[in-house]
Amino acid sequence: MSATLIDVKNLRRVFDVSKPWLNRMLEGGHLEYLKAVDGVTFDIKRGETFALVGESGSGKTTVARMVVGLLPPTSGEVVIDGVSMTDPRQAQARRRLRRRIQMIFQDPYASLNPRFRVDAIVAEPIRAFDLILGERDIKARVGELLSLVGLHPDDGLKFPHEFSGGQRQRIAIARALASEAEFIVCDEPTSALDVSVQAQILNLMRDLQDKFGLTYLFISHNLAVVRHMASRIGVMYLGRIVEIAEGRKLFENPRMPYTKMLLGAVPDLAMSGRQRIPVKGEIPNPINPPPGCSFNPRCPLAFDLCRQKAPDLIEGVACHAVNDPAAAVPA
Amino acid sequence: MTIRPLIEIEGLRVSFQGDDGRTTHAVDSVDLSVANGATLGLVGESGCGKSVTSLAIMGLLPKQSATVSGTIRFDGFDLLQVPDETLRDLRGNRLAMIFQEPMTSLNPSFTIGDQIIETILRHRGGSRRQARDRAIELLRRVHIPSPDKRIDEFPHKLSGGMRQRVMIAMALACDPQLLIADEPTTALDVTLQAQILDLMRELKAASGAAIILITHDLGVVAEVCDEVAVMYAGEIVERAPVDELFANPQHPYTVGLLGSIPRLDRRTSHLATIEGMVPNMANPPAGCRFAARCPFVAGDCAKAAPPLAMLSATHASRCIRAPLERLVS
Repeated sequence: MSATLIDVKNLRRVFDVSKPWLNRMLEGGHLEYLKAVDGVTFDIKRGETFALVGESGSGKTTVARMVVGLLPPTSGEVVIDGVSMTDPRQAQARRRLRRRIQMIFQDPYASLNPRFRVDAIVAEPIRAFDLILGERDIKARVGELLSLVGLHPDDGLKFPHEFSGGQRQRIAIARALASEAEFIVCDEPTSALDVSVQAQILNLMRDLQDKFGLTYLFISHNLAVVRHMASRIGVMYLGRIVEIAEGRKLFENPRMPYTKMLLGAVPDLAMSGRQRIPVKGEIPNPINPPPGCSFNPRCPLAFDLCRQKAPDLIEGVACHAVNDPAAAVPA
Repeated sequence: MTIRPLIEIEGLRVSFQGDDGRTTHAVDSVDLSVANGATLGLVGESGCGKSVTSLAIMGLLPKQSATVSGTIRFDGFDLLQVPDETLRDLRGNRLAMIFQEPMTSLNPSFTIGDQIIETILRHRGGSRRQARDRAIELLRRVHIPSPDKRIDEFPHKLSGGMRQRVMIAMALACDPQLLIADEPTTALDVTLQAQILDLMRELKAASGAAIILITHDLGVVAEVCDEVAVMYAGEIVERAPVDELFANPQHPYTVGLLGSIPRLDRRTSHLATIEGMVPNMANPPAGCRFAARCPFVAGDCAKAAPPLAMLSATHASRCIRAPLERLVS
């Protein structure tokens, strides 16, 4: 058993966003592709929380969907516990692996089937994988799972619409735990919730992690939430990871200019009057990103090389100015 | 000499009649005042009544189902008593509002220029030519690049941050004295939020308008507000200058709310939580509405509704057990 549970290698996903063929023929125009994820590499160790943080359109959800296998990658590979998620020769092993991976979605109003009772929702993974046979035992297990996430076993008889957003997210967590998953991908699990409810859900997720040794891939746009949950963090910008570091290091000493800008933009609750880097410009159109480093039009440190060649991720930072300070001559 | 506040709200109550005959008390005896040039933050979680309060000020609540009582004095008018005609003259002119969703609050079938010019012509008159020049000037003021070209574009061509800038330009079209911003940055990413908040600070300094900022995000309040009112279950539970509220919160709900926010500057193993749920507003509890969830609850709390009592000249809390520090020592 190795320390690394998830290994993501050079993952890419391109979406075809061209107009339909007939329109292209009649109105002109050519094929257009959107590189949602462009060469993402990271690994997640057993029992840790790895977070991907970034703004809308940075590709974090696309990565999450590829990791759990909801979306096939254009190229690259996801290896979970030694089993490739893409290699056709490992289909058998992959089927056994499925049970151990689960996902919690952003919108608890859309991710629970409104026509199912809660006990049927939570029992679905148990039935799908034939984990427990016999209705009485399944019912007992569902009750146990509901208590585990802070609901009452009798809540199983209700329908999802009878619950608040926070309670629905608890049901989604119970469902994820039902198949005895080890690895849970959480895609913005609290962004639809009020702060006091968010605190309850984050505490619950941490307690469950301690109890069952869960591994989380945590996706969020909220830096404070990520800081609270994650041991390591990857910052995404336009489909690439631009910085990857341990949580404390990233927040105390951000290196990539984009990370600095992102951290500076978070409202300051302590009102310390800290110096912030003003936010300049907007995210470029991902269909037609700028050449070189995609952050270069907004970057205070950009120099010639930045406009020509996209930087590689070296020692956790993808930035020419940081990795090769000698060559960097501020314009 | 005391400065008369620009807007004074006293005993505002709003209730909604449901189809099933139930009455929901969305806002209950809210007292607020904002002075010229000040920024008041109205904070609370979903369903606490902060948006309903703002819609009541603007007179935008549906007349058939909403019952509004109390007084809202704005520069000599009582906004709840004045005829609709007067209210229409004030709205968009001296009272302006920015809504949460820049995607849905602009009309998709008109150019952004048409929508700004409409406001100017309605309230200021003049020629279309002059109104157009004024609109371009407004777009420049909210830092939209090449405003003379952008003015003829439709909303779908603009990004979320740009649309929110257009909304702000439209709200500022007639130099309002009071600007109500209802969650102006909630739909935006943090970097865009920072830009919009900078813009609001800059415009406030230039125009001297009073702002009521409605938000669920205490971080945003810390950034731009002078004073904060915290709402819970339709009532204001605490009111204080912003530094005072963050340093010395005096209502258990505010304490819980501040503790439940994950922070960048420190990492704790567990966040503070507020146990239980918001009471049903069709049938609010008789005593303190927070009593069932309160860690400091005592026998008297459930008996009578506590008043919003002044703890100092500027700090008020709706808690009979305040000051709270003597309870924890």
